[in-house]
Amino acid sequence: MPLIRKDAAANTQSGAAPRDRRRPIDLLRSGTADERRSAARAIADLAHAGAPADMRISDGTKALGEAIKTETDLRVREAIFTSLVRIGGGESVDVVVSCLRMDDAQLRTGALDAMRAMMGDVRPVLPDLLADPDTDIRILTCDLVRDLPPADATRLLCEVLARETNANVCAAAVDVLADIGEAEALPFLEACSGRFDDVTFLTFAITLATERIIAGRPVQNE
Amino acid sequence: MVFTETKRYYVERRVRERMRATGSRTFASYFARLRIDAMAEVEQLVNAFTINETYFYREKHQLECLTNDLLADRVNPRSGRNGNGNNPIRIWSVPCSTGEEPYSIAIWLLENWPRVDEFDIEVIGSDIDTKVLEAARIAEFGKRALAQLPAGLVGRYFDDLGDNRWRVVEDLRGSVRFTPVNLIEPAETASFGRFDVIFCRNVLIYFDDASRRVAAENLYDSLLPGGFLCLGHTESMSRISPLFEVRRFSDAIVYQRPETAA
Repeated sequence: MPLIRKDAAANTQSGAAPRDRRRPIDLLRSGTADERRSAARAIADLAHAGAPADMRISDGTKALGEAIKTETDLRVREAIFTSLVRIGGGESVDVVVSCLRMDDAQLRTGALDAMRAMMGDVRPVLPDLLADPDTDIRILTCDLVRDLPPADATRLLCEVLARETNANVCAAAVDVLADIGEAEALPFLEACSGRFDDVTFLTFAITLATERIIAGRPVQNE
Repeated sequence: MVFTETKRYYVERRVRERMRATGSRTFASYFARLRIDAMAEVEQLVNAFTINETYFYREKHQLECLTNDLLADRVNPRSGRNGNGNNPIRIWSVPCSTGEEPYSIAIWLLENWPRVDEFDIEVIGSDIDTKVLEAARIAEFGKRALAQLPAGLVGRYFDDLGDNRWRVVEDLRGSVRFTPVNLIEPAETASFGRFDVIFCRNVLIYFDDASRRVAAENLYDSLLPGGFLCLGHTESMSRISPLFEVRRFSDAIVYQRPETAA
């Protein structure tokens, strides 16, 4: 039978790279792409295991934050984002949110995916992001809200509809409400439609969202 | 594993089962037992949650893809493999449940890959559930697990134990290694080395987003450059990680670790 069985606990054939004696933070700054990727992953491992004496968890997060701004290798970026997700907490969220403001579209997409994976930590900063001076941030955040429970998402997006002056941001909020919005959104949608009655695409989207929410409402006993 | 509110009943039922099994009269006493991991209770609880429904030749189109396309790619001339016994082809089935998948892979290769005798082939099955791994090693199966296998193959690769039970023949049992692994622990997955093909079907759907990202990173690291990842037909790596390239073959869509770094 050509099938073979190796009972050794570890297979060394092209297996994991031997552990580098240099600190992951140093490797993240100056290593090859493979070393930087391993270092990014190791920082989260160390944080989970309880950071060693010569590395505070916030040092690791800070190093990841610095690295993500200059890193060009997609694999390393992905590892950095995943490590930030694993470490979690306010500092990691700050790093990831800062990537939303970058010009690099891939970086912004990576940041959004990371934020979805750490929604518990991201949840408290969503109201601020929905009120951010940058229109693009507000639009991107509307879509993140989709991952919240419908009642929470509806409340946050109703606040957006009540104050928002940019039609594109309203459209992003309406788009999410059309999928998961609850009946509480109906008066906000109506008011928004009235404010933007000259923006055809938005009034059309609001009509659609309203119909969907009404269709999804439980039947009331008269 | 993440269970939303809709799975409350599912969770409650299994916790109750474990409370009964451990003689815990209240949840508080069971939880205390869990916290100190008395008698490896954490492992017992994980075992109670993992779903182990599978059968031989499940998602056969991926096995067809394995022999029609994936292995041809892995042993093409530029791979440097010459069939001299070194550099074996390595295939990982994770999670492997009670062994149907890794044994299916082994049988399929022996029956359907014309070059099977030219190469050493290593098939490893891994799972987080230690109970199913023990069952996989014993390799006894009922009628339902074998329903998709032609009778000729059952006759060739199984001993009839009677009473609608069959056992994988000794040669084949001895050819597949079974070992525990937690897919979201990088140190554990790294210890297996790298593979040409990984079958990782219908498990990522049970992970939350963060665990899924970590598992994807681990699977990437567990593949040789150019190696292939086969997911369940309802799963898509594209929604989890940009690390892999999508490869569309006539029998299946699979994911490939790029030959060279991005």
